[in-house]
Amino acid sequence: MDFFERQDKARRKTKLLVFYFIVAICLLILASYAAVFAIFGRREVIDSFGESSFTLWQPDLFLWTTLGTLIVIGIGSAFKTAELSKGGSAVAQMLDGRLINSNATEANERKLLNVVEEMAIASGIPVPQVYLLENEAGINAFAAGHSTGDAAIGVTRGGMQMLSRDQLQGVIGHEFSHILNGDMRLNLRLMGLIFGILCLTVVGRVLIRTRGKKNPLPLLGLALIVIGFVGVFFGRLIQAAVSRQREFLADAASVQFTRNPDGLAGALKKIGGLESGSKLESAHAQEASHLFFANGLRSSISGAMATHPPLEERILALDPSFDGEFPEVAPHVAQPPPIPPVEPRRTQPPPLPPPLPIFPRAEAMGAGIIGTVVSAQALLPDIGQPTTRHLQYAADLRKSLPESLKSAAREPLGASALIYALLLSNEQSAREKQLADLATATSDPIVDETLTVWPETQNVTMQMKIPLVDLALPALRQLSPAQFHEFRAAVRALVESDRQIDLFEYMLQKIVLRHLEPNFVHAPKPVTQYYDLKPLAADCGVLLSAMAYAGQEDPAQVEAAFARGAQLLSRIAKTEIPFLPKADCDLPRLDNALGRLALSVPQIKKNVLNACAETVAADGLLQGSEAELLRAIADSLDCPIPPFIPSASV
Amino acid sequence: MGTGLILIGVILVVGFFLVLFVIGIYNALVTLRNRYKNAYAQIDVQLKRRYDLIPNLVETAKGYLSHERGTLEAVIAARNAAASANTRAAQNPGDASAMKELSGAENALTGTLGRLFAVAEAYPDLKANTTMMTLMEELTSTENKVSFARQAYNDSVMAYNTRREVFPSNIFAGMFNFAPAELFVIEAAEQREAPKVKF
Repeated sequence: MDFFERQDKARRKTKLLVFYFIVAICLLILASYAAVFAIFGRREVIDSFGESSFTLWQPDLFLWTTLGTLIVIGIGSAFKTAELSKGGSAVAQMLDGRLINSNATEANERKLLNVVEEMAIASGIPVPQVYLLENEAGINAFAAGHSTGDAAIGVTRGGMQMLSRDQLQGVIGHEFSHILNGDMRLNLRLMGLIFGILCLTVVGRVLIRTRGKKNPLPLLGLALIVIGFVGVFFGRLIQAAVSRQREFLADAASVQFTRNPDGLAGALKKIGGLESGSKLESAHAQEASHLFFANGLRSSISGAMATHPPLEERILALDPSFDGEFPEVAPHVAQPPPIPPVEPRRTQPPPLPPPLPIFPRAEAMGAGIIGTVVSAQALLPDIGQPTTRHLQYAADLRKSLPESLKSAAREPLGASALIYALLLSNEQSAREKQLADLATATSDPIVDETLTVWPETQNVTMQMKIPLVDLALPALRQLSPAQFHEFRAAVRALVESDRQIDLFEYMLQKIVLRHLEPNFVHAPKPVTQYYDLKPLAADCGVLLSAMAYAGQEDPAQVEAAFARGAQLLSRIAKTEIPFLPKADCDLPRLDNALGRLALSVPQIKKNVLNACAETVAADGLLQGSEAELLRAIADSLDCPIPPFIPSASV
Repeated sequence: MGTGLILIGVILVVGFFLVLFVIGIYNALVTLRNRYKNAYAQIDVQLKRRYDLIPNLVETAKGYLSHERGTLEAVIAARNAAASANTRAAQNPGDASAMKELSGAENALTGTLGRLFAVAEAYPDLKANTTMMTLMEELTSTENKVSFARQAYNDSVMAYNTRREVFPSNIFAGMFNFAPAELFVIEAAEQREAPKVKF
């Protein structure tokens, strides 16, 4: 099952979930009607013949009850969903999480951040915000958010302090699988719906307070509280059923990423051996229990209500030799021995990463450079599922990044300067114009900082650019809204002043802004609009033409490259994909096309990416720089491709 | 019967909206408060970096400035005062007295540092010292980062304070103990520039 199928499946599951909830809500309406009827209803009805008869059905009463119940549940859900729409950080703050600074120096925090950073580079997504749940002594973790751009990972203090690096890696891998499989959005929707039902009890509580003689309202309030709680019970049942399944999946995925079942199994065993286990103290724990790595609720409910499969079962799936005996874990390991500044590695210290070849910029692509190559079709199956090779590569890549750039990427000013520097042109005259524009858009210290960072970015290879941007994102999210608007204006100024910007640099700035904007600008959530390739034919034409021009010089080759990708799509769309002249492949058009393609269903994205791969690799081979361009395009379609590993030989 | 039901409906809906409304305001205030506290963490990191650099700077300068003991000691004293003020402010960012103390200590530190640099002008050997040059470069860069982080902090404090004061949030801000937060102000660079020493 590839990334696209899993996305499709998550989407279908959401629909099924909504169906279950509709059934539950219908039952709740009936129950409310019964209560209202018992309290207010007239059992005697006098019909037109003047005879009284017994009835249970009063349409006007039913109408009012239905309306009332729907309003309460609907508005409650909408309210919670709106609150959660702020993304993963809203959930983390709800659970009393403290944001770990991206330039934290404390050994444990650093270890956690490093593990998360490696995992993010390995899966090709921006580094998520990492929150520490300081008041939680148990071992647990969660991932929340709507997209990879606003994802947050939370780890309890106990988890951060007591787990070894390998175990932490297993847990973080589990959380990344939730991020990559589209589980997070499903989870947030669940929270919204359950809160809506919970609102019935809120209304009940308001009513129960009302006073007055012969006031029937407190009675109704009591009934609503009962109905609300029964509703929440069923809601949780649905929640638990969905969640249990996902947890097994995420465990399996985590092992697939890290190829180290002992790490994850070790973490689960530690939970079993620890007295406080994975329990959470937060008052909101129940609401968010299905987000967590392990069961966070105080009572160890099992069976249909448990949001997580039993620990033993999860461990046995990873480690068949497990005898059910949990090792004793002392809770006061709270202060672990200081970690040596150089982190211990799992395997023997790796040989220094192979020097990453410096690829020429995109305009020189396709000029027959001997580089590492891979077939286009070998790259795509990796989408959304990094493997242990990617993880190893990411760790090495992160190590080989210049220290000065890494530390710049970790604080807001340095991170902005880094992005500006990456967008600066190689040509002296163009660069001077860009710097002048930067100076008008921002202030002198920022220009100074950019110039300090710039020389170092010149040594950065193509493969390092996307990881660097991913690393810089957590610090950039710390900008204040005013600073973000300045940053965005400056980035646009840099792009526009450089009339010769190449496609890759353009995509780089698009990645930055696309992932940052949800944190600062409130935009309606994009809704999937295209289920068929046909209406997108023109957009595919723009994208494929642009990629063909980026990869080839000779007009005949451009057309040939385009044709390779286009024939793949035109067969599926059953319509012609138009080839555009170079002048028509401008940035606004491309931007528009990518925007529309991003709103299509996963299977369409898969086909489009396949066609893109065919086009850039028209000569049969996919070079490093072409692969990076493909990754950037895929990112803008929300399909994270793990880094391309230069292992294949020419 | 009809009026009774309508009455219940109205009470229901109004009460319900009221509860959601208050929850919304409360949560918004909490979010804004967390935001400025997070923003302070960025300042904290850079200030600590600055406090770590200063002793090195003084150590390097000592060899050359044996006649300027007073200036060097003043720098160290100001640095220690600022470091302890920062520790207090970091525990409770936005607290009025802690932030004022920090502003004062930071201004004093910048003043003494300015004097040290002015004095150093007279010692070409010191100015040419490579350690000294990198340290000063690093210090400038850190100060830039502080001011950038300070801007973000002040922006989020402003957003929080505004939300705290506007109707109807102000009713609940008082009720739930949302104290006003203090800006972190450092005097403009022109004012804090130490007077040039003339010989």
